[in-house]
Order: sequence, then C-alpha cells, then structure tokens
Amino acid sequence: MMRPTTALLALLAAGAAARPAAAQPEQPPAPAPLRPYTVPPVEEFRLPNGVRVVVVRDAKLPIVAGRIMVDAGAALEPAEQSGLAVLTGDLLDAGLPDLTGSQIVEEMERLGAEFGTSASYSYAFATLTATKSAFPRAFALAARTVMEPTFPPAEFQRVQGQNVAQAVQIRSSVEGLADEAFSRAVFEPGAPYSRPPYGNPASLQRLTRDDVVAWHRTRYSPSNTTVLLVGDVTAAEARQMTTGTIGRWSAPAVQVPVVRNPAKPVTGTRVILIDRPGSVQSGVTVGQAGIGFADPAYFRWLGLSQVLGGGFNARLNMNLRERHGWTYGAFSNLQALRGAGEFTLSSSVRTNVTDSAVAEMVREYRRIVEEPVPPEELQAAVANLVGSFPSSVQTVQGLMQRMQSVLLYGLPVDYYASYRERIAALTPQDIAAVAREKLTPDALTIVVAGDLAQIEAPIRALNLGTVEVWDPDGNRVR
Amino acid sequence: MKRLLFALPLAVLLPAALAAQPQAGTETVQISYVEETLPNGLRVVYHVDRSTPVAAVDIWYNVGSKHEQPGRTGFAHLFEHMMFKGSRNVGDGQHFGLLQAAGARTGEDINGTTSWDRTNYFEQVPSNQLELALWLEADRMGTLLETLTPEKLENQREVVKNERRQGVDNQPYGTWTEKMLAHLFPEGHPYHHPVIGSMEDLSAATLDDVATFFRTYYAPNNAVLVIAGDIDVDNAKTLVRRHFGDIARGPAPPPLRSMALPPRMGEGRREVVQDPNAQAPAIFVGFRAPPARDPQANAVSLLTTVLGARSGGLYEALVRRQQIATGVGSFNFGLVDGADAMFIIANGKPGSSPDSLEAALMAELDNLAAHVTQAALDRARAQARFGFINGLQNTGGFGGRADVLAMGATYFNDPGWVNRQLDENDRVTLADLQRLVRERMSADNRVVLVYVPAPQPSTPGDR
Repeated sequence: MMRPTTALLALLAAGAAARPAAAQPEQPPAPAPLRPYTVPPVEEFRLPNGVRVVVVRDAKLPIVAGRIMVDAGAALEPAEQSGLAVLTGDLLDAGLPDLTGSQIVEEMERLGAEFGTSASYSYAFATLTATKSAFPRAFALAARTVMEPTFPPAEFQRVQGQNVAQAVQIRSSVEGLADEAFSRAVFEPGAPYSRPPYGNPASLQRLTRDDVVAWHRTRYSPSNTTVLLVGDVTAAEARQMTTGTIGRWSAPAVQVPVVRNPAKPVTGTRVILIDRPGSVQSGVTVGQAGIGFADPAYFRWLGLSQVLGGGFNARLNMNLRERHGWTYGAFSNLQALRGAGEFTLSSSVRTNVTDSAVAEMVREYRRIVEEPVPPEELQAAVANLVGSFPSSVQTVQGLMQRMQSVLLYGLPVDYYASYRERIAALTPQDIAAVAREKLTPDALTIVVAGDLAQIEAPIRALNLGTVEVWDPDGNRVR
Repeated sequence: MKRLLFALPLAVLLPAALAAQPQAGTETVQISYVEETLPNGLRVVYHVDRSTPVAAVDIWYNVGSKHEQPGRTGFAHLFEHMMFKGSRNVGDGQHFGLLQAAGARTGEDINGTTSWDRTNYFEQVPSNQLELALWLEADRMGTLLETLTPEKLENQREVVKNERRQGVDNQPYGTWTEKMLAHLFPEGHPYHHPVIGSMEDLSAATLDDVATFFRTYYAPNNAVLVIAGDIDVDNAKTLVRRHFGDIARGPAPPPLRSMALPPRMGEGRREVVQDPNAQAPAIFVGFRAPPARDPQANAVSLLTTVLGARSGGLYEALVRRQQIATGVGSFNFGLVDGADAMFIIANGKPGSSPDSLEAALMAELDNLAAHVTQAALDRARAQARFGFINGLQNTGGFGGRADVLAMGATYFNDPGWVNRQLDENDRVTLADLQRLVRERMSADNRVVLVYVPAPQPSTPGDR
C-alpha cells in the first residue's frame, strides 16, 4: 500500500481534536499513537475466455465472499421492458439443465453457503459467501447459474409475480413513494436512472419468458463478466477455482453500449406532492441530480455530504431530530453510479410538522452553499470517513462492496490504497468550490409523500417554487 | 493470550472431482478472553484480536422492557435515548460528535439498543481511541443525572414517538410484533407489552421516572463491560480502573416479576387485522417456545432455520409449487426468561385472498413434521455454522465478538457461552426437532394474525 501521507497521519493522530473548547471540568482523553493499517492487497488476471478475475486477500477468518458480475444491468434495458434485467438476474438460480431451482438452493444450503442472484442498475450478479472449505464447490454451482440457466416457465411465472408484489409493496411506504418520484423528476424521461431498477407493476406484467431468455442470450458473455473474490483466498486458489468453472464458458462477445443519464434542466425549485391519506408521517426527499462515482468532484462532494448529513452529528440530523424532535433521523445520500447519480437529503417526519421540516432542509441546503464550512467541522467529518475505513472493510462483504464500485465504474484496482489520503486532503475551500459549482439551492427538486389533506396547504404556503401533485405512477394529476 | 484459534479441515482445496462426498464446511472459531470483576461489581471481559486496528467497547445493562412497571411501557428504551443526551463532562450531542470525529460510524459502530431482556451501548473505534470510548461510557454511567433537563426528555420523547410512527404505525404490518406478543404472553406478563411502548405511556413518563430508573438499574454491579479487538489487556485494565473504578456500587436491583409460564397457551388464538398500510395479505403465526436459557434453545433455533429455509418444505409448497405466497420465513426472538416466541410468516400477493393464503399455510402447519427431516437438520446446521463465523467477522457492532461475549455473560453468566454453540448444535437430534413440533407447534399453542389490506381512510384526491 501507499505510505500514509503526513496529512493523513496528522488527521488520524488528532482524531477527537474537533471537540469544542467549552469550560468542561474534564477533557476527553487524547488518542494513543495510531496503529498501522494496511489495505488488503489486490491481484487480478484474465481467463483465456475473457473473464476478468480480481482477488482481494484478507485471511482473518476462514471465510470467502465472491461475486460474478455481468455488465447487463437495468441501465441497459429499454423503458418498456423496465424490470427485465432484475427479473432475469433473479431467475438465474431457478434451474439448470440437470438441476431444479429447489435442488440448487438445497445444495447451497447443504454447503452452508449464503447465495443469491439478481441485478441492479449497473450489473447482473450471482453472489456467494461461504466458509473457505465449502466455497470452491459452491462457487462452481454459482458459476453455472450465470452460464447455463434454463428459466423454467413455472419459475418465471412465480418470480414475475414476486417482483410485481415487491414493486407494489415499495409504493406502500412514504419513503418508497418519495424515492421513485424523485428519480423520475430529476432525470430526463428516457434516462434509465429515472426508473427504479426493479421495474413497475405494469412493465413487469408485460414481460414474458422469451424476453428473459433473449436478455440472457444477448447480454451475458465472458467478455463482459468480472469475478470478484474476497477473503481467505489466494490468487492461485482463485485461478484453480475459476479456470474449470466460469473459465469454460463460451458465448459470443457482447458489445456493451454506453448509456447516458441526462438530468432534466432545472430553472427553479419544483415541489412534487404525492397523496397517502391518513399517513402519520411524511416522506421528504430534497435534492438534485448528482455525479458518477468516477467524477473528479466525487471526493469533494462526499466531504460536503458528510458535513451536511453524513451521520448522527451532521447538520441535518442535529437540526431535525435533536433540536426539533420532528423525526427519528435525517440524512444525506450521495448516490454515485456510472456516469450520473443523485444527491439527496431525506427524512420521515411527523405529519403536522412536514412544512417546517421541508423549510429547514432547504435552509440547510442553502447554508452550506452560502456560508463557509468551519475548518473544525470539516475536520471532524473528514476524520470520520478516514478513521472508519478499516471498520467498513472488516467483513468480507464490506470489502467486496467497496471493491465492486471500483470495478463497475472502471477505476484502478488499487483505488483504496490512496483513498484515505485523498479524503484527508480535503479543505474548506474544496467544499466551498464543489458547493458553488454543483449545488443548486435555487433549483431543487422536493418530493413529499404524505397526507395531503393536512400537509398540502402549509407546503404551498412556503412558496418554495412550482407545486405539482402526482399519483404513485408518476403521472401529474394537478 | 491466545489469538483466535482456527480448526481448519485438511482438504480445503481438494479438487471437486476427487471429493466423492463433498462436505459442508467444518471450520470453527474460538474466542479467547480473560475476565475480572471490579470491587464496585462491574464485570469486565477482555478479548484480544489484532487483525484490524480497531477496538470495541460494549456495555450490557441487565435491564430491558421486561423490567418496566405497568403504565410506563417503553420506558427502558426511552431511557436509552437519554443516555445520549450528555453527562457531567459530555455535552448534549457530544457523545456522537466525539466518537464520529474519532472515526466511528453512527448506527453500525456507535449505537444503543433496547430489547425485552437487556439494554446495550457500543462503540467501535480505531484502536488508538479506546480510552475515549471508555471515558464516554464511564461518564454517563457515573454522572448522567447531573445534567438531565425537562427539555432533553421532551426532545427524546418526541424522537421516540417518531421512531414508533416510522417503524410501527406507518409501515405495512408494523403492528405485528406487539399484537403477537400481547397474545402469546398473558396480560401482566413482562413480555406482554412492546419494547417501544405505547404513545400514552411515553407521554406520561416524567423526569423523576428517569432518575429512579437510572439509580435502580444503571449501576456498575448491574452491567457487563466488554473490551475487544486490537488492545493490550494490561493497558485496558489500567484504563478501566481509571475511568470506572470510582463509580459507586448501587443497591441490588429489585427482583423481576415472575416470568414463569405454562409451556403451552392451552388454546389457540386468531385475529384479523385491517391494515391501511398494507397492499397484500400476510399471515403471522406465533408459538410459545422454550426460552434461551432452556437446554432446548439450540433446537428451537435450528428448527426455525429448517422451517424458514428456501430448500424447506414450506417454501417449496407455498412459494414454488402453489405460488400462493411470495415468501415464507421462520425465526425466533431468543427471549431469555419463562418462554421464547417462534414464528412462521407467509406473505401473499397484492390483490390475493387472505383466506386462501391462510388455508394453505394452515394445511402445511398440520403437516409440519413431514418437513423436518435429517437432511433438513444437517443443512440448517451447516447454515448455522456459516452464520456463526460470518457474524464473528466484526469486532464490535451488532452481533460482533464483543456483543456475543457480553450476551454470554449477561444471560448465561458465562462469557464463553459463544464457544460452545457449534458443539451444542451438533448435539441436536432430529428427535429434538420433532418433539418441538409436536409439543410446541400444535393448534392449542399458536397465535394466527391475518393481515388484510384495508381501504385508505379517505379517498385520494378528496379534500
């Protein structure tokens, strides 16, 4: 790994230096000397059929996590087939030429392996965690589900029904309603990120088994597949495990198109309301379209997000929860995907204070643009991101999650070797710059799902911008 | 002190083709520890694991919602919130602030949780910040009441009410736990009421209640402190003495009300719940089960793993074959005293008939023994072994090593309880599971909640 820079060492050694210098009878104890930490090493190789294999060795416990990732995510599907990539991914483990879905699951459970298949915007996957001794056999079976799924008709019907039920279920909560409407509002109608990856009830019902079979045939190939192995596994073991399994896969190479997710141009703040009669809380989301994971502004925006709503002690939660008691929690989220993303503040708030909560969220959004962030506040936020990195990758699943973004969004595999240094280097000027360049406090998208009989008039009275009322499908009704 | 000890099988990399009878994993993990009790009664457990430079501090107070008085339900949890509002040397909000700046994540690394049986507080920090975590825990254990104000109580009362709205009142099926426990445990039994409490009782809590509760239960002699991870035990002992040594022992907490219950309810119960938040029917079935301190506890846990497995008969019948359910689950709460509760849950499709779903599930319940086979038990054991090792990857946080050591000490008077669990699982037999099905999953010991999507309280668009 890279040696820590002086800035990083100074930051980590200071640790709790951000404490206020109030007249306390007793000051918190100073940190001891920092103990060394090494980012787990990464190796990679390519199998003869084109599959890329990335190995992160971390042998603290006899456990291995693996994910077979195919560049065939929901971002590639047309709007009228919304939900197809996820449905196909969900069905990978529903049958093989010689095994039923039940037999696949039974074998995985017999091995004590945690196993599942699905897809997201960015990719389709089979994911697996098992003890070291059980892992190779479980991996061989997982690889087969990616290479030769049979999609039995009865299983297609079952999983289609489940995904419809899930899509309906998500719209039964105010949080789910607000999330879906927000994405629809900030992206252009054709953008895949304007739609949830799991589809909507109508599009899911239109899909056929033939669609699934065709999607797998035309989108899954060794040429767009990466295997990520994390934990108690060496590169040599990884080569042995993958060569006779996923390495034997032969399918035509796939050209993966470049997908764009243009944000809708915004000129002023737009308020979108969704009725959920009788709701005792409202789901509020405030924000704008954001950036991709590989964007040069990512680290600066991450620092800004951490100050604004990155934890309990960040501005948003301290305001809405600790000062006002309006909510159980309020946080920000910088969702950075391939080439685009979202930046949101969100909270579930008591119905009769919804307008006040929206006003405070907008005020905090504006404040971080208009007022410089005090250096000690930024230092505390940055120290949290830096200091918690070892904890965040202590499990093989946590490490796999971190590495996956690097692979999906085309960054160098040694990305995390300098990750903490890059965050530690952030300055108040960086935050001010990203706030000025990227944040649009006068052109926000605000979505509120709740009991409109109680909240609509007070929200309109805030005069934040244009107000629309949508139904759960995203159609404007007023 | 010993490091974690791994018992690895010999044939880890035996090529698949040569393994005639491939076995599930056989790895195990032992957690080494030393313990001591301070003169003030604080029990302290130390576990060294230097593989990641993090240290975890985890305090379990032996008080949960089962200790609450009638009319004050939800108080143990409300009190837990007050523990984050500052003490003599720690300002309101500073607990999280100092720990976050030290490199701990809120939620995962820093939290407090309240259950029926205990309340815990934990923080995982970079190991050079161990003393900060100990100082914060000691300050609130020693001096919480000095800075208590009506405003702080009022603020957290509102936060907890919002927690209840978000998790219970505004969520599909959000009320199932409290309805279930109210049926499984009779009126007046300490497990009868929900941990989150009722809105009325939360409104009634006073500052005096907070002070009395603190003096009664938050004393060193009613707590277990675990320090785990990248630590030096001698140094940790010095720090513990420095920060906790002077906190006065409290009076012995009053004995619990009787937790004893007949093993079976004696008659089944059924309730239909009209749920305006739900879009699809769901059936929740609960049974009174042997509690965590009972020798049958491992069998209860393995039985629920068998019944909830995706390879299991219930899933096969209801989800795959009949396609009447979108999912089936089974688990138990692990309640400690008197009786535990185990559950089977089936989710229906939007627009489908609750009656058909219930009938299909009940037909399977009448035939449960057929689903409980030796092969299913063996699979459940393999899953439990994986889950055990998987959970111990974390030093602190939910279910990490510090947490299981503290649980062993608090519930079983033995921090090493965790190290016996895989062997205990190996001793469970098919006959044990079948006896549980026969004796505990009968119709006279079961509660059935039928959740039916209800019309919304007013028509969308009406003003």
